[in-house]
Amino acid sequence: MTGDHRPASGTPVRRKEDARLLTGRGRYVSDLALPRMRHVAFVRSPLAHGRITGIDTDGALAVDGVTAVFTGEHPALASVALRALSALPGYVETDQPPLARDKVRFAGEAVAAVVADDRYLAEDGAEAVVVDYEPLTPTVCAWDAGITDPVHDEAPDNLLLSRTFTAGDVDDALAGAHVVVDRDLTTNRHGGNPIECRAGVARYEAADRRLTFWSGTQVPHLVRTQLAELLDLPEGNIRVIAPDVGGGFGVKAVLYPEDVALCLMAMATPGIPLKWVEDRVEHLLAATHARDHRYVLRAGFAADGELLAVRADVWCNVGAYSVYPWTAGIEPLMAGGLLTGPYKLAHYACTVRGVTTNTSPSGPYRGVARPATVFAMEALLDSGARALDMDPIALRRRNLILPADVPYRMPSRLVDDSGAYEACLDRAVAMFDLAGWRAEQGRRRKVGGRPLGIGVGIYNELTGLGRAASAGPRMPFRTGHDACTVRINPDGAVTVFSGVTSQGQGLETTMAQVVADALGVDYDAVDVRIGDTDSSLWGFGAFSSRQAVIGGGAAHLAGADVRAKALALAGALCEVDVSDLDLRAGQVHVRGQEKPVIALAEVAEVAYLRSDRLPEGFEPGLESTKFYDPIRGAFAAGVQIAALEFDPATGEIGILDWVCVEDAGRIVHPVIVAGQVAGSIAQGIGGAMYEHLVYDEDGNLSTGTLLDYLMPTAGEIPELRIGHVCTEGANPTHVRGVGEGGTLAPNAVVAGALLDALGVEVDDLPVTPARVWELVSP
Amino acid sequence: MKCPPFSYHRATDVADAVAALGAADGEGKILAGGQSLVPLLALRLARPAVLVDVNRVPGLDGLVVRDGVLHAGALVRHLHLAGQDHHPLAAEAARWIGHTAIRSRGTLAGSLAHADPSAELPAVLRACDGAVHVAGPGGTRRLGADELFVGALQSSLAETEMITGVELPVPDAWGFAEFARRHGDFAIVSVAAARFGDRLRVVVGGVAGVPHLVDPGDLATCDGGLSADRVAILAAAAADDVDPPSDLHGSAGYRRALTEQMTARALTQLAGHRTPEAA
Repeated sequence: MTGDHRPASGTPVRRKEDARLLTGRGRYVSDLALPRMRHVAFVRSPLAHGRITGIDTDGALAVDGVTAVFTGEHPALASVALRALSALPGYVETDQPPLARDKVRFAGEAVAAVVADDRYLAEDGAEAVVVDYEPLTPTVCAWDAGITDPVHDEAPDNLLLSRTFTAGDVDDALAGAHVVVDRDLTTNRHGGNPIECRAGVARYEAADRRLTFWSGTQVPHLVRTQLAELLDLPEGNIRVIAPDVGGGFGVKAVLYPEDVALCLMAMATPGIPLKWVEDRVEHLLAATHARDHRYVLRAGFAADGELLAVRADVWCNVGAYSVYPWTAGIEPLMAGGLLTGPYKLAHYACTVRGVTTNTSPSGPYRGVARPATVFAMEALLDSGARALDMDPIALRRRNLILPADVPYRMPSRLVDDSGAYEACLDRAVAMFDLAGWRAEQGRRRKVGGRPLGIGVGIYNELTGLGRAASAGPRMPFRTGHDACTVRINPDGAVTVFSGVTSQGQGLETTMAQVVADALGVDYDAVDVRIGDTDSSLWGFGAFSSRQAVIGGGAAHLAGADVRAKALALAGALCEVDVSDLDLRAGQVHVRGQEKPVIALAEVAEVAYLRSDRLPEGFEPGLESTKFYDPIRGAFAAGVQIAALEFDPATGEIGILDWVCVEDAGRIVHPVIVAGQVAGSIAQGIGGAMYEHLVYDEDGNLSTGTLLDYLMPTAGEIPELRIGHVCTEGANPTHVRGVGEGGTLAPNAVVAGALLDALGVEVDDLPVTPARVWELVSP
Repeated sequence: MKCPPFSYHRATDVADAVAALGAADGEGKILAGGQSLVPLLALRLARPAVLVDVNRVPGLDGLVVRDGVLHAGALVRHLHLAGQDHHPLAAEAARWIGHTAIRSRGTLAGSLAHADPSAELPAVLRACDGAVHVAGPGGTRRLGADELFVGALQSSLAETEMITGVELPVPDAWGFAEFARRHGDFAIVSVAAARFGDRLRVVVGGVAGVPHLVDPGDLATCDGGLSADRVAILAAAAADDVDPPSDLHGSAGYRRALTEQMTARALTQLAGHRTPEAA
């Protein structure tokens, strides 16, 4: 070690997880093999809506290698239901059974589970289960369907939630507007589709009533709490382990009925671990979907472009069940709360509805609702700019929340602390060479060539929600805090037990950087343990772009606290005033002196092994655990601007340039941040141009494999040019979240570019070549 | 997505493979590259009782040109076809198939036997008026492209027959164009165009149950020169001649428009692409 300590944060240190992840030595649930382990396959409903009139499991039990078949009526499962709770007025609580009871509510719902010696045999058994159904009329669309058979008896109108956000006087403001524009938009249902689908292994030891659940989850502590309640076990008897997880994107922030069924079945077969690894067909059918929304919008502008009022009616198709534990409110409440985005607005009336249908449940997916709301808001501004004959970027500038406006109380009463939108826009416009692309657009219009359009999306990402900001859905828990334990080992090296989780986004690295700097040790001296509820105290996990802000804050506070303890002990050992001491690269120095007075390793040795040298008043050990809660959140600004070309003859869409500028606050790891931004833009482009889960009118999924559900590959994603501005967040590491922002703009950018190139407004997504051709063909 | 039970027979030669198919009583299926069959097995949409693996059968991976015809063994992989220069149209079409991993396993005869109307090589076989050699319990026979394809994923091969070789006449000039949602996807519409002397054959994939041979009437002959006007007329004729279905990836009208565009692209390419004399 050198005495010359350079901060780990802000530099692209080598990722701690890469040695195993890049050499095929990752430890995924899918890789887990335990003695006596058996495999589970679920029997899934082929019907969108129907009453179960009988289940015959004899044929399955006759298959060689099948050891058990469970149904919803099995005593181990019959009394359990997942019930997403919220105290919001008007929210209708409904039950979701671990395996369907009485009736099925979407095609793909698990009806029975077959346990066998391997997955092949389990699938053979699943084929042999005979289920009789009495069909009921399915509801597929959330906004234009008459209801024959309600999805849940508790909600005869299929409405699980409705809420109206109001500010000012919209009627009055619209009456005084210079122009009024209307849009009626729908967005395309799609989902997260991580490379590793859902996976779990559950093992129950009857002797001491302990359950271990290895799960590819983003939220192990939450899962533990929920399982304790659902399985009626003391929480301390449950250990949830999320080892390496192959992508999550929100899909794995849900506790699924399959997870609960797996654990209940494991409790019914003590000592025999049960494994379920979801395949892609199951994932597309039955993992949570998202973004199936309609927005009916009206906006009024003053002659100078000032946005005066927005009225919105929003329908979110929440699918067959209120997603556990987030509730059917997750998308509608986000849609109503964030619709107005980075724009100042005084007059706002927005009614959002969560409508249950006979489709797979909707849940959290990277960006939750905002890819749709940014599309909606930017569509209004693009329509407004045309009506006013104003430049679309100038119109946006006219309305942005500026640094002088923050903290800005949005019409939904959320408080925006960013104000960096114009700075992001200025930088994006400069990087993009707007003038150059406008000239090229003009050249093509004059001399021919594929029409070229420029699209813009400006957004705010609500990241790192503290207790005040996460109170919105009024669930029986507040996700504002995480804990972190920093332990200096007897040899002076550092082990961190953090409540964060990682699905590939490098949290071990980021937490190690934060702790190394807070503590004053080398990055290489820090080892981070995550994902095991038996080792870290608490973390809500990965969602809402929260972990760098909240988990990072806790890591910083715990690291700084251990540093203070170590320095106090060093001071007492060396008889130096602690205020004169500094800890750099694992060495304790008297400030201003080159030569260290004592190594951290020696301090640690005393703390653990040499109580004979321990000064009076010091306890053995060197460790600290801290919680952090930012109370509010850290809004993160972002702008994307791109040039696209369109072939009117084929509808082919070409992306010529794509620039994104985001405010990540102080950047901990530049390459990880760039990766988050690039990956989320790629998912956004997927949603804007490719990904669409399509149900037919009977509620059958038409896009059941990756042959028909198209995800963008590296070949479809352009070279992305990413820039940053930095306004430091008000949290211990001065960061802002970056996990989701990239997904928010591509819908708006692609639709805006199409309008700019060919003068056609697209009202429904995705923007495919066939859609472009239809819009421009006579 | 785990396949149902089946038994497995590794064939030592063509006769052994045909015998194994015969013994399977109509429940046998040939495993070559497996790029279509294995996913169908995993989805349990195909449930053969016996898989007859022909990958170790010797002598089926050759490529040779005789008298202006490319003779290719059944096990010639797409990657091999894409890399040869005897038959540039087949090479170009093979480059559009899937991705490297798929091309390195998938076989020419497998693609033809699978008879996917959106696939590239069936369209090429028809555009070149090629043929397949088939071995069965009664001996061997030769099937022309027009007889081989019966409907979507349906060929006229009996369940006890296997393709052993493919004849692909080398055109004097050629063109190939395809429109797909993503690189490597099955075509929404593809067009293979081939000129043999003054005879022009244009085949459209993705618009019918089989690769569609355009009937351009009097325009079928071509004296070697193809003006831009002529290309436009032929492309419009091709669009008129197809009656495509609608599905998730495009309406009938869209496919008809793509047929016109892809035909124009393929013919424009054909006007400038002649097969080297060396072939």
